[in-house]
Amino acid sequence: MNATEAKTPRPVMGLYDKPMWESINAKAMRLQRCRTCRTWLYPPGPACPRCLSCELEWAPVSGRGRVVSWVVFHRQYLPAYPPPYNAISVRLEEGPCMISNLEGAMPDEESIGRAVRLVYATMPDGMVLPRFVLDGT
Amino acid sequence: MSSPVPARAMRHPNPRNRRAAAVVGVGHTDWVRDWARCRNGERPNDSYGYALEALRNALADAKIGRDEVDGLIAGPTTAYERLGELSGINPRWGDQADAVLAVAQAVMAIEAGYAEVVALVYGNDQRSVGTQYGGPEAMGGNAFLSYVYHSPWGFTSQGALYALTLQSYKHARGFTEAEMGEVSVAQRGWSALNPNAIMRKRITLEDYLASHFVCEPLHLFDYCLINDGGVALIIAEAERAKRMTDRPVFIEGVGRFDLNRGATSLEPRIDDFYLPAQQSAAAQSYAVSGLGPKDMDILQVYDSFSVHVPLALEGYGYCAVGEAGKFLRESRIGPGGRLPLNTSGGHLSETYMQGWAHQIECVRQLRGECGERQVAGARHAHYTSDVAGKCFSVIYGR
Repeated sequence: MNATEAKTPRPVMGLYDKPMWESINAKAMRLQRCRTCRTWLYPPGPACPRCLSCELEWAPVSGRGRVVSWVVFHRQYLPAYPPPYNAISVRLEEGPCMISNLEGAMPDEESIGRAVRLVYATMPDGMVLPRFVLDGT
Repeated sequence: MSSPVPARAMRHPNPRNRRAAAVVGVGHTDWVRDWARCRNGERPNDSYGYALEALRNALADAKIGRDEVDGLIAGPTTAYERLGELSGINPRWGDQADAVLAVAQAVMAIEAGYAEVVALVYGNDQRSVGTQYGGPEAMGGNAFLSYVYHSPWGFTSQGALYALTLQSYKHARGFTEAEMGEVSVAQRGWSALNPNAIMRKRITLEDYLASHFVCEPLHLFDYCLINDGGVALIIAEAERAKRMTDRPVFIEGVGRFDLNRGATSLEPRIDDFYLPAQQSAAAQSYAVSGLGPKDMDILQVYDSFSVHVPLALEGYGYCAVGEAGKFLRESRIGPGGRLPLNTSGGHLSETYMQGWAHQIECVRQLRGECGERQVAGARHAHYTSDVAGKCFSVIYGR
């Protein structure tokens, strides 16, 4: 099997994940925000971890964030991901951290702290993934 | 958000469990033999078979019969009931736990009077059955959402979680690749002296730096082994332990603190390096035991990946925060160094028994049975683990 035919690993799809992935498919990612204390949630869940309120709303994210850390895989674990490929941790402007990939460049010694911007990548099998590019590119 | 560790967690606890219980017997399987057999395509045992072999050896070491055991704690890789059935043990206290939690549970059960002699039994056939620690079916994914949640981005494997940790740690502290290499070089120095170790060939820092990346910045030598085996311990109430053996190894103190906030996105690792939880667990165990880092002759660190070691050196107070790199370069943790650390070779070089073999290494060092790798006159051994931010500190003493 080559990479273009390989299936992108399916996301964990709990009860609260579905609206997020629908918004990603629509290329306008939304996350939950607490109506009580305004805390943003990732991954999605049933209640706000800060104040335990269940009053959550779905709201669009700005797409801005900063790189917290990065890795480069030199070994193949998944058919859809032939090495080398990267993964990054991004601190979203809204607060939560998410794991994703950096597009357009491989991360390097200068990457941590760099501003990034959300883009939507369509995988060979049609799955849409939220990814990031260095800001200004 | 508020500080990850509430102030009350740093209060000195009532030191009740100091020397309440002692290890009176240890046993393990011949993982060097089984490594060769697994490499030859054989399945020498299943997890239960390894567990039972280790239990037989631990009972023989304690010189007791099975009927003296009134507590049973099964490791996480065997079903509690089936292990109890095969062991033929009907205990008045039973539980299932990972290595360090099993020790803590045994002390708690003994101190509370629910058991007097507890068998802790672990077996794992992970090599021969090809247990996967990455991919969509990664082991532990049902218990830790972070192990599986990021797979759409290709982010998978335990190594990746710790590679991401090391990268941000290097950036935050100025920690270098060569400083990281000191850990696997030192642990090979120990395993070269350990006839029970699977990987005994010494490596140099040059070998480390020349080795390939698996998940960058982690090199091949930063990863633990995957092998089959089993470990068992017998822990008894302190007074009874003294009657059972003339060389009991006491549990001097236990501390625990967990970081769960932001865990799926790995924030406890890549933002905090587990530090506040390690500090809190350390403070609890030091208060209970009346001991501190300066009293420790040996440090055993849970080392699924080498990066656990610098995090532990800072978190449990062996050096100042930010100085683990300097400590590794100058103090040395290998044979002849200032702080003997993972004296068996650890998960990287001896055997990957998920923390269980570290317990018996503490016991054997304190009993003076370690041959060429023996730390002369060792009185106190400290075990630390921080798996997924669940931080423990256990102090053993004779």
